[in-house]
Amino acid sequence: MSNEEYDFIDLNKNTCPSREQRANGTNVYYGKASKLSKNAKEGKVLCSERKFQQSGGCVLNFYLSVRVPTIRDAVTIFNSPVGCSASALGYRELYRGVPVELGRPAQYNLNWLTTNLQQEDVIYGANEKLKETILEAEHRYSPKAIFILTSCTTGIIGEDIEGAVNSVQPKVKAKIVPVHCEGVRSRLVQTGYDAFWHGVLKYLVKQPRKKQEDLVNVASMLSYTWQDRLEIKRLLGKLDLRVNFIPEFATVDQFEILSEAALTAPICPTYTDYLSKGLEKEFNVPYFLYPSPTGIKNTDEWLRQIGKFTNKEDEVEDLIKEEHKIWKPKMETIQEKLIGLHENGEKIRVLGSLGQGRLVNQMPFFDELGLQAPAAMAQDFDDLLIEFLDDIIEKHGDFDLMVNTFQAAEQANITSNIDPDLTLTCPFQGGSWERDNNVTRIHSLRGDADPWSTQSGYAGAVAFGNFLLQAFKNRSYNKTLSEKTPKSYKDWWYQQPDPLYYVEKGGSK
Amino acid sequence: MSKKTYLSGDLSKNSLEAPRFSCSLAGAYGTTLGICGGVPILHSGAGCGIGQLFGTLYAGGQGAGGNEGGTSTPCSCLVEEHVVFGGENKLRDLIQSTIEIFNGDLFVVISGCVPSLIGDDVDNIVGEFRNKASIVHVNAPGFKGHSHEGYELFFEAIIDQLLTEKPVQKKLVNIFGIIPYNHVFWKGELSTVKKLLASIGIEANIIFTEENGIRNIDSIPSAEYNILLSTWNGHRIVKKLEEKFKTPFITFPNVPIGAKQTAQFLRTVGDKLEVDSELIERFIKKEESWVYRYMEYPGDAIILVRPNSYFAVVSDTNTAIGITKFLTNELGYLPDIIEITDNPPEEYHELIRKEILDNIDTVVKPEIIFETDTYKIRQNLEGRAFQFLFSSSIEAPTAMEDFSALHISVSFPVYNRSVLVHNYAGYDGGLSLIEDLVSTFVGPL
Repeated sequence: MSNEEYDFIDLNKNTCPSREQRANGTNVYYGKASKLSKNAKEGKVLCSERKFQQSGGCVLNFYLSVRVPTIRDAVTIFNSPVGCSASALGYRELYRGVPVELGRPAQYNLNWLTTNLQQEDVIYGANEKLKETILEAEHRYSPKAIFILTSCTTGIIGEDIEGAVNSVQPKVKAKIVPVHCEGVRSRLVQTGYDAFWHGVLKYLVKQPRKKQEDLVNVASMLSYTWQDRLEIKRLLGKLDLRVNFIPEFATVDQFEILSEAALTAPICPTYTDYLSKGLEKEFNVPYFLYPSPTGIKNTDEWLRQIGKFTNKEDEVEDLIKEEHKIWKPKMETIQEKLIGLHENGEKIRVLGSLGQGRLVNQMPFFDELGLQAPAAMAQDFDDLLIEFLDDIIEKHGDFDLMVNTFQAAEQANITSNIDPDLTLTCPFQGGSWERDNNVTRIHSLRGDADPWSTQSGYAGAVAFGNFLLQAFKNRSYNKTLSEKTPKSYKDWWYQQPDPLYYVEKGGSK
Repeated sequence: MSKKTYLSGDLSKNSLEAPRFSCSLAGAYGTTLGICGGVPILHSGAGCGIGQLFGTLYAGGQGAGGNEGGTSTPCSCLVEEHVVFGGENKLRDLIQSTIEIFNGDLFVVISGCVPSLIGDDVDNIVGEFRNKASIVHVNAPGFKGHSHEGYELFFEAIIDQLLTEKPVQKKLVNIFGIIPYNHVFWKGELSTVKKLLASIGIEANIIFTEENGIRNIDSIPSAEYNILLSTWNGHRIVKKLEEKFKTPFITFPNVPIGAKQTAQFLRTVGDKLEVDSELIERFIKKEESWVYRYMEYPGDAIILVRPNSYFAVVSDTNTAIGITKFLTNELGYLPDIIEITDNPPEEYHELIRKEILDNIDTVVKPEIIFETDTYKIRQNLEGRAFQFLFSSSIEAPTAMEDFSALHISVSFPVYNRSVLVHNYAGYDGGLSLIEDLVSTFVGPL
């Protein structure tokens, strides 16, 4: 690939462009996936204002606030009023549930501070306060890196973050990494991923001292569990490859050596995009973005891609054969059971709430499980994954696609109208989890160390298949609550046919 | 221990490490969600609802937000173009559509940092809807105050914008001072207090958790008394109610925990509301007879394994006072250090100190520190005698390795227990506290 494609990555700049700017991202769509793809190619995908909107997350407070403070031997500073960091209060507990026997270090500390901006800071500026806080973080912990997460408030009052960082950097050993995640800067929470990776690429990744041909970078989202790490480690271990898992719960050293790896492999393409391309542009670390190791076929292909970059194509084929012997029979049993759920042999209809990265990987997995997915809800959509989406449409057939970031009412409307046999919800109680049908989660979270919650690789394909089967065995929780508690919305909302009823027509970039 | 610090200025306005509270928007948000039929409408950036789902609701004893919370919360989701052109039109559309779509009784517009910085006239927009629904505006930018401030702001808005004078109903009281989510046992505490008062013939309007929240709100001015169960939370509310509706108030330092505090609570309330004292004494006697029999059951475990133990409390003010008095006065435990983490204003510090020191029945006087910075909180705990640490779940995973102490999560944030009806209020509550305590160490004797 030519480097021109990566013009959007400019490490001389303070931050990345937004997803709206660089990838024509949108926050709203409902219709055929094929049409969305067509629109995207024609540059017709736009953001729209909603007259009714729900709190679906911002650039800071969807992902970064909860996860950046889990980076070890670092300190995170929220340059914000006190509320923007409250979501990080679980920081010391997040990984403690992982047994030491499963690879969690016995002792470690995670730390974050907030500049706790006040009225007077808003009026007079808080540059000195930020500098003091950086010095204090250095004094308390002598960390290897200090991440600064910005907020709506610092953005609007025009704080000079880089000015503060540059003036104080000579006084501290820690590398200071400003991350521009002002909530108001983008409608698309995915801009936060890029903003974070921009900081990582600009400040943390070092020039390679040596090439580590057996090292594979895997940037993993919170929505993958500890067991997913172990499964990926197991598989790559059989190929004599080592995994560099970043960013969550990684050490600062692991960021520094990203440039030394043989490649960057995805487990969520939309999440990894900016990092992968940045590592290629700046350090010639190759990457691929599709597929992720979700389901057996995807895992095969994922391993083959890794095999290509590491000259292990034969070993990969052997590994795939060996793994299929173990897992395929188990998968077949699950398929039989899922198909047997409907007496007439019809496929089970499933509606999942997914990120776009998951969308392109999960749809083939649904096929593999023998499930039918007449529609899907994606948190986001942008140009980055068009070709993968086309690939899915070709293999899977066209389907209805709703794009929204945790818009619970829109999700409730289409869930009610499509009435799938199984709803896979992203568990923030939005959408309609109280319903007279089967409901379970789409994914677990990082701290979950139970093999039952695995979803990646071969072990994950089988574990998740079994997990879905369980969802059909007892629906009493959601059914009872749907009967015994009031509905969120008035009846007309569920009955009217257009989930985008409140979206303003037209749109803007 | 290094005392060097780069941080200057007023402590509560300083940079802080993992403070155990959120912002005023969060406090108003949690308070609104505590009311059945209350629908918060956030006029803010798009992350404020989901941020407080993690940072207030889950942190308040793993309580998801229900129909109106978390990602279901209506929000104007302000971005740059609103910063430039104003967010008023967006808010108007949002309120209109929320009223159309939501099954709600009370709509609470909560303004965060962004509209305050860009100068939206939110009062004016909200005013347009006053004849269409019960609606109030709570101006709660995060940089103006902490969660506890949000609770006061919420009720100030309700009093100013919604309540009208009602005939006073004898023996009806309102309960204030327990903040939803921020006092993690709020649900159980409120219903316990209600039952306790009912048993001496007093009806309590606990406002939260009960069906028809709007009716509870509307009837606030009907109370004969307001009862305040906090040394510093809710004080502005009851004073305002006294000014506006002439409702007198009775202040208690905390929610009563265990038999002794509860008896004192009942006698004081009964005296003010002219309840027959014999009825109260009969009730207290009956309760004490079973409670103290129950307290004999764990007696062997306590005496054999952990008698007269030192303990530390790191918590909000209400919890610190209640637990310290109970463990000291009823269980023979020794208070080593108390750190107050909810940032009460300076003028309450002496009162809080006195409330603890004057009311504990031991020669041991605990060190009492007001601290909100988690680094300093942890430094203060080092090298001490305490064997039990009552605090937030922040310390839960490492209390043993860091401080050689057994840990019980009792104060915000509490992520590691699901709190539904569990609480330490009243007679049962004291026993629940003993259960939680003894269960950390008991085994085959």
